[in-house]
Parts: sequence; C-alpha cells; structure tokens
Amino acid sequence: MRDLWFFLKLFKPHRVWLCTGILLSLLTAFASISLLTLSGWFISSSALAGTAISFNFMLPAAQIRALAITRTVGRYGERLLTHEATFRVLASLRSWFFLQLIPLVPGRLAALRSGDLLSNMISDIDALDALYLRLLAPAIVATLGVIAVVSFLYLYSPLISLTTGTMLLLAAIATPWLFKRLGLAGAEAIVALAASFRVRQIDMIQGLADLLANQAYSRFSGLLINLSELMINTQRQNNRLTAMSSALTLLLSQITLLTALVLAAISFQDGLLSGAELALIIFCVMAAFELVTPLPQAMQMLAKTQKAASRIRHVAELPPTVIQPKQGLAIANSYELQLNDVSFRYVDHHDWVLKNITLTIPQGTKLAIIGASGSGKTSLLQLLMRYFDPEHGDILLSGQNLRKFNSDDLLLNFGLLSQRSQLFAATIKENLLIAKPKATMTELNAAIKAAGLEKLISYLPEGMDTWVGESGLKLSGGEARRIALARLYLKDAPVLILDEPTEGLDADTEQEIFNALAKFAVNKTLIMVTHRESGLSLVDVIYRMELGVLTEMAAS
Amino acid sequence: MQLTETDNQRFFDERKLREKRCAGWLKEQSKSVRKPVLLAAIAGITNGLAIIAQSALLAYILQALIIDKLQWLVLMPYFLWLAAIFVLRSVCVYFHQSCGFEASANVRASVRQQLIDKFASLGPTAIKQRHSGELIAITLEQVDALENYFSRYLAQHTIVGVLPIIMIAVVMPVNWIVGLIFLLTGPLVPVFMALVGMGAASANRNQFLAMTRMSGYFLDRMQGLATLKLFGQAYHELTNINHIAEGFREKTMAVLRIAFLSSAILEFFSAVAVALVAVYVGLGLLGQIHFGPAQQISLSEALFVLLLAPEFFMPLRQLAIFYHDKAAALGAADAILTILEQDTELVIANNHGHEEPSSIINNVLNTLDALDNKSSLIEFKNTSKSYGQRQVLTDINLRISAGEKIALVGESGAGKTTLLNLLLGFEAATEGLVLLEGQSVTREQATQTLAWAGQSAYIFHGSIRDNIALANPDACDQSIIAAATAAGVTEFSTQLAEGLLTQIGERGYGLSGGQIQRIALARAFLKNAEIIVLDEPTANLDTANKKRLLDLIDLLFKDKTLIIASHDNEVIKRMDRKILIQQGRLVP
Repeated sequence: MRDLWFFLKLFKPHRVWLCTGILLSLLTAFASISLLTLSGWFISSSALAGTAISFNFMLPAAQIRALAITRTVGRYGERLLTHEATFRVLASLRSWFFLQLIPLVPGRLAALRSGDLLSNMISDIDALDALYLRLLAPAIVATLGVIAVVSFLYLYSPLISLTTGTMLLLAAIATPWLFKRLGLAGAEAIVALAASFRVRQIDMIQGLADLLANQAYSRFSGLLINLSELMINTQRQNNRLTAMSSALTLLLSQITLLTALVLAAISFQDGLLSGAELALIIFCVMAAFELVTPLPQAMQMLAKTQKAASRIRHVAELPPTVIQPKQGLAIANSYELQLNDVSFRYVDHHDWVLKNITLTIPQGTKLAIIGASGSGKTSLLQLLMRYFDPEHGDILLSGQNLRKFNSDDLLLNFGLLSQRSQLFAATIKENLLIAKPKATMTELNAAIKAAGLEKLISYLPEGMDTWVGESGLKLSGGEARRIALARLYLKDAPVLILDEPTEGLDADTEQEIFNALAKFAVNKTLIMVTHRESGLSLVDVIYRMELGVLTEMAAS
Repeated sequence: MQLTETDNQRFFDERKLREKRCAGWLKEQSKSVRKPVLLAAIAGITNGLAIIAQSALLAYILQALIIDKLQWLVLMPYFLWLAAIFVLRSVCVYFHQSCGFEASANVRASVRQQLIDKFASLGPTAIKQRHSGELIAITLEQVDALENYFSRYLAQHTIVGVLPIIMIAVVMPVNWIVGLIFLLTGPLVPVFMALVGMGAASANRNQFLAMTRMSGYFLDRMQGLATLKLFGQAYHELTNINHIAEGFREKTMAVLRIAFLSSAILEFFSAVAVALVAVYVGLGLLGQIHFGPAQQISLSEALFVLLLAPEFFMPLRQLAIFYHDKAAALGAADAILTILEQDTELVIANNHGHEEPSSIINNVLNTLDALDNKSSLIEFKNTSKSYGQRQVLTDINLRISAGEKIALVGESGAGKTTLLNLLLGFEAATEGLVLLEGQSVTREQATQTLAWAGQSAYIFHGSIRDNIALANPDACDQSIIAAATAAGVTEFSTQLAEGLLTQIGERGYGLSGGQIQRIALARAFLKNAEIIVLDEPTANLDTANKKRLLDLIDLLFKDKTLIIASHDNEVIKRMDRKILIQQGRLVP
C-alpha cells in the first residue's frame, strides 16, 4: 500500500482532472440507478392510479427521459475525462521515471541495456494507469454510490436499507477477498513455476546448439512442457476458485434481492409502504448491483498494480554507482590520464575484473589494448569514463582524481565508438544533432562526408530527413556504425574511446572506418580496445589484457 | 514527426493485412476448442433464459402483492422458485467460466508446444538473431495473453448472436410494441457502432503511424539514455519526452473522442429503450396511449418488459467490454507468428527433393561416388551458403577421411563456423552438397555421428554430472567418472564439496573458462562419436590453460576424426592437416 500511496502523491498536480472524472462517474451511476428506480415506481403508480386524473404523469415521464439522456452523455463524458486524466498522469509518470533513470545510467543499468528490464518497466508504468482508471475511480464511486443508495432506502425502510448495505459489502468485497485468499498459494505457485520455466527456457535457447548436437532437445523441451502443464493445472484450480467466487457473489446479491422483496412485502402488508414504494425499493436494490460489479476486478488489479508500483520504485530508488561531488571541478584544458594501482570488481561479484593496473596515458597518445573477450578491457574503458569508481587505486585526469569531477561534465570530453551504435527512432539528421544540437548545415555535411555516409544519403529520397531506427528504415550494422562515427566527428571530443569499433563489420567497411578514424584522431588521445589485429596501425603503443592484468607489448 | 498521407495509408494497409493474418490464425486455433467454447456459450445462454424466467416471476410477484393484494405467505412457492432460479444462475456462471478456461488452456498448451518445436527446427543460427528475453516473453506471457480471447470473447460472441433474439421472441407475444422497440433498437446498435467504428478508423488512419512511433519513443530514449548522457543531452531529452507525451495525449484523445462514441451509442440505446418502455407502458396503464396493446396491459406485463429492457442490451455491453481481449489476442498472435512463420532452415532427409531431375541424378551419382571412395568420411561438393545478399561460403570442395586431424583455419568471420554448422545440419547449404558417410547430411544423422563443442560450451542448470551426461543421460556412473577423469574434470571437481554432483548453472557461474571447456570435452568423450568437431576451443583461455586443454584433446581423441576450427598457431601446429578459409573460400 505504501508504494501505491507514493505514486498517488505524484498524481497530485492533476487532481482537478482526477476529481472531475470521478464526479462525472458518480453522476452517471446516479442517473443509471435513478432511471430504473424511477421507471419501476412510475409504472407501479400508474397501474395503481389507473387513470390520468389523479396522477401527474408529466413530471416523472419527463424525468425519465432526462435521466436517460444524462446517463448517456454522462457515460461519454466520464470516459473522456477519466482517460484524459490518466494520460496526463502517465505523461508525468514517464518523465518522472526518466529523470530517476538519468543518474543510474550507464553504471547501474549498463547490464540491463538489453532492454528487457526497460520494456518491463514500460509495461509496469502502463499498469499504473489501472491505479486510477480501474482501482481508485471505481472504488470511490462504489463507496459513495452504496452510501447514497443505503441512505435513500433508509428513508423508506431502515431494515431493508441496512440488510442491503451489509449484503452488498459481503457480496462485492468479502467474497472476492475470501476467494483471493484461498487462491493465494496457487498464485504464488504460478509465479514460482513461471520463474523456473523462464530459467529452463533461457538454458534451452542459449544452449540450443549444445542440446541439438547432443540430441538432448526433446528431453529438455519435454521438461518445459511439463512445467507449462503444471502451470496450467494450477491456473485451472485458481480459475475454479474465481468462478466459485463470481457464482457466490451473484448468489449473494440475488439473495439480497429476495430478502428485500420479502421484507418489503411484509412492510407493505403492515401498511408501512405503499405499492409504488414497494416497486421502487425492488428496482433500486437491483440497480445498485451495478455499482459494485467492477469491485471484484478492482480487487484483482490491486495486487497487480501494487507489484508494478513496487518494481518501479525499486528501480527508481537504486543508488547510482558513482557519487557526484557537490561542486565538480572545472576540467582543465589538459587530458593526461593516469591509473595508479587500480583494481576493480563489479558489485556482488567476488572475482576481480581488473588487477593492480598502473598506466599513464599522456595527452595525444594513441594506444590499443588487445585481449580475449571477458578479459576486462571494456571495464577499463568504463572506469576511465567514470561509469564506476575503482575499488582500489586512483584514476587521475590532468592530475586530479576523477571523483572530483561531475560525471556529466566529464563525459563531454570523451568520444565513444563501440560495437553497439545506438540509433534513435528519429530522422538521420536528428540522430546526428544529438552530438551537437546547434550544428550548422556545413558541419553536418562535413560529418557525413568524414563518416562516409554521403552515398547512403544520396540514395534516400528524403535524404537526411529519412526516419531510421524502430519502425523506420532499417540501417545495416555498417551504416549505423557510420552514423555513430559522424556523431563522434561532430562531438569533436579530445579523448577518443574505441571499444571494438569495427566488430561485426565486413573487411572493406572496417578499413574505411579505420581510415576515417586515422584522419580525425590527429591531435587527440585515442584509446582502442579490440580482440582483432586490424586497426592496430592507428596506434603507437599496444597493451595486452589477460584476466585483468595489463602488460605492454612491443611497439608495432 | 512530419508524416505524409501516403506514408500513413501504406502503413495502415500493411497493418490491416497483418491483422487479417493474425485473426485468421486465431480462428484456426479456435477450431480445436469448439466444444468447450460451445459449452461456455450454452451456460451463458442458459443464464440468460434464467434471467427471463426470473423477470417474469418477479413481475408476477409484484403484481400479486401490489394489485391483487395477496398475502406474502401465499406467494411462498413463487419465492422458492425464485430462489431456485438464483441457484441455477450461479451454477451457470460457474460453468461458463470453467468451460471458458478449458478452451484457453487447450489452445495455450498447443501453441506453446508449437513454439518449442519451432525453436528446434529454426536451429541455433536463426535463434541467435533474436534476444532470448524476447523469445521467453513470447512462449510465456504472449501465449498467456491469448487466454481471455478464448475463455471469454469467443463464447460471448456466440451468446450475442442468440440471446437477444430469444428475448425479442419472448417479449413479442407479451407486448408487441415493446418487442418492436427491442427489434428496432437492437440491430441498430451494431449498425451504428460499425458506422462510428468506420469514423474512428479513418481518424485512426491519420494518427496511427504517429501513435506507433510515439509509444516506442519512450522505450527508445530510455534504451539510448547512455548515449544521450554521453552527449550531454539527457536533460534536454526530458523536455522532448514531455512535449511528445503531450502531443500523444492530444492526438489519442482526438481518436478516443470518436472511439468512445460507439460505447456512448450502446449506452444511449440501452438507456433510451428503458425510458421508452417505461414511458410507453406507464402511460398505457394510465390510459393515455391508444395504440398497440397499451390499454389492456397489466402491471406484471409492464414490469416484465421493463425488467428485460436493460438485460436485452447486457450481452452486447459485455461483448464491448471484452473487445479489449480481441485486441490483446491479436497483439499476442502477431508476436507468436513472427516465430511460427519464420522460414525454417531445417535440413530434411533429402533437401534436394524438389530440384530438377538432373540434380537428383547428380545427387545419386555423388552419393555413389562417395560410397565408392570409402575413405572420404565427409565431403563438401560445390557447397555455397548465403544469407540473403551476403555470401558466406563460396564453392567449397573438401574431402575429409576417417582418422584425419584437421585444423580449420581462418580469421573470425571467414566462414569457419558456418562450414561446421552445415556439417552439423544446423543450417542447409544454399547450393551444392554436404555428404556425411556418403549421404546427404541430415541433422538427425549428423548429431548421431558427430560430437560437437562450441567456442564456449553451454553449461545447463544441474550438476556437473548432468552436464557431462548431456548426450547420454542413462550412462552409468562408471563411464561418467571415466570421462570426467580423462578430460581433467576430476582435477577440479574433487576439490568441490559435492564432487561431480555439485550444482552449476547460469552459464557455469563460478567455473573458469578452462573448467567449462573440460566439461565440454568430457561431454564429447562420453558421447563416443566417430567425428569430433571443436569450434575455437581455446578462444577464451590463457596460455597455460590452453596448453593443458590441447594436451587433453590429443589424448582423448587419438583414434577419432578430429576437426578443430581455430586461428591459433598452437592449435594448427598440433594437427596433421590445415584447411585455410578466407572470406568464404578455401585457399589451396
């Protein structure tokens, strides 16, 4: 509940929309119940009166028509308003979440770049729209509505009013709650089964080649199917409980109606109620069921929304990997990098990734580190950019400890080209402008030329305005890398960090990229990490990284 | 965000075609669950019939009490009947839900099975193209997302076709004017909903592409947050996100304003029908209306039709609520079909079966030729492989005899792994033949004849013993221990508390690269295959471990045909024959 409360507080700026939406829902519910109640009363009164002389029929007939219109218009308005409110809330939730993520990237969330966690987060944020639309609004409307109905009935018969109120609570809240409790063990079992299904399937997909080569696939897939069957069986048991709960809820509300009918009949015969009032009570009780029908579903949403809320909070409240100084040092115009006896390991891992590394990189040095994947090369680069702080030793930039700089300022001095070229869903031009928002057309064209993108752009009918990335034009790995290269050119940072810059590219593209890099790395510091031989012509010094230990190799 | 109208139109048409395909697939799946869906529908319809009876009883009781002034005790049997109907309705609700569940359970189990079978036939190369998280989400969550469509929507669809007609038929003899009101308003609902739906569709068309792009925008920017930060643009992007979200809200609301009209119409007809019925019978009872059966109407008839008025629209309103289920199922079907409809590279027994006769003859000749020359265990004949435009292997001709020790040499990306994948039957050649023991290779045969270990063997959740016995789960302890000892696994396993029974997993967490490779060797050794294929076995090892592993390989597979892909001089030195491959071609 604390997590939900946390997010409710974030909803505050939109309270006018939220409240108006609820008010309109109440109005609609009121019109809906009144329509049926009034109609029942009107028909019975008419039947009792028999003629139009003793009965003013014009007013109720007009009211009935007015209620029908109110209900229609109200329902439409209510849906518009509640959705408007939800979209407003979601928009601010998203930007809030984005704001929380900024300090966590890339250090804390580097491992999650796959997007798995992020797409889960997106669906969790979307799930939070249920908080207002399916949880808060129906609960408030039901509560106020039931209070109104019970008070209204109280005017005619306190006994019927109290019985109806109690039974409604029992039917709509106690029953679903009870059966949810009964299904709790099953629900937990399903989560656990799904988790082991996931683990087994990861094994199966990532080890697919090993399984097929060892003719073990059918054995493993059989296990998976068994798990799926177990899951469905547990779901079946839980579904039975839910079905029983719905059946019981219906039965209880029908018993409420029957009780009200008998009680009203007795009161009528005792002369406490008129015939028309008897009909009025019965129709009112029947219509009141509509108020509580969304409640069982809201109850189911409650747990789900709560989990989504706590997951989002968990990520949003993760501590960043590096602590920013209150007042970051200004970065001097000198970029000598120095590592003094640096050792590093990731949080929660006991193996050292980097072991006692001492290295000085004077400004303008061109240096390569080669080694197998997993040897710690990339971690070293990440330490230089202060994604993480070393556990032992210090890293210095022009003689000052990296910890004294603000990460955001620090990053502006590094140009990174890696095997992953992040393309945004935007036009090519917008993708380039990320590196330098105020770049002139001349600068853009120069960057495009330097990165060898001219040919591609001249082929595209919309040129630089072509949409790329998700749902746009699919660029090849080489083309994406060239865009990253053009960005590198635009950013014009004094230190170039190349992390396997040509991984996954064909030999020709690789050569062209290295040629381009050679041209604009003049006068810059260049630090390249690779496990291939090519591109070493760019550098003056080569180091080898083996299991976290750095050793210098003979100059090329 | 500038979009042209043609852009929108084309995108929309593509979406529509895809949606049609998905809807067709859903229909196909529903064929196998006709029975439980029908049972669920019958339970729903019975519930509807019970509502009619309940309304009639209630109306009768009220008339008896109010007009006929009967004692309530006299009406006891009717109260009991009412109670019986309530019980019947509860039972119907129960069965409606549990039959619906059976329908969805059957479909989900069968789709899951189809997916898991498909993964195997797609093979490792195609599977690696996708993110494993995505594949798992499809087999687990997306399959579950089919549930409501099969458990509720389908049955409700049937109910909507039946129940309103029964209600009209029941009301007609009681009061034909009210029957007429139902008859006129009922069918109008779908008509108007369709009209509004078309309006919404055209509004949709204008917004659709923008909407799709915008919903992906947030995820896209979050995934690229590291890059944004690198360029100092993260906080600036926040204003963009706000701006886009604002635009998204405005555009979505423009669409919803129209889309909600369809539910407003349902609401309107349902409300108006109640109002019309109430006013008509009310005024009829007062003698103010002189057409139709208004004058001789009784209170019970009046109440009966009034009670039925909202119920008449109930099935339709339910269907409107369940409409999301269909959208969700279509979305899930879309994701599932990206897997199920992917082209299979499976190497079928005779993968040249459909070619012209000359090539079949060639094939036979080749086979005979190969049989003649018993010594060539493996043969590639004019083999080429390409992925779309990209040529990976070109015109490979290669013979390997039993007992040879071969180093397959080339830079990474030269085509070594593809060559081995063809030999294993993981992928099919685009052109030419791959023969194993004189026969065109199939995955079945290859995996029986060959033992294979990749660059980094995959370690499965389970014990070291389970991992060694992957190919022979029924192997006796003795032979497993023998294999473990021979491959040097026992050198480290004896230091673990539970020895070979120690649980490992999650890519062998806690094991070093060298230890993992030794487990892979033990695996291959235990399999006791004729041909051993190792793909870059030393890639992730340091010098000492590499030497130890190569010594083990020499020893273990002395009598076997051994093929090692590597570009490591140490490996090449130890083999008898070197096959060099460069940019997809063999270099003589």
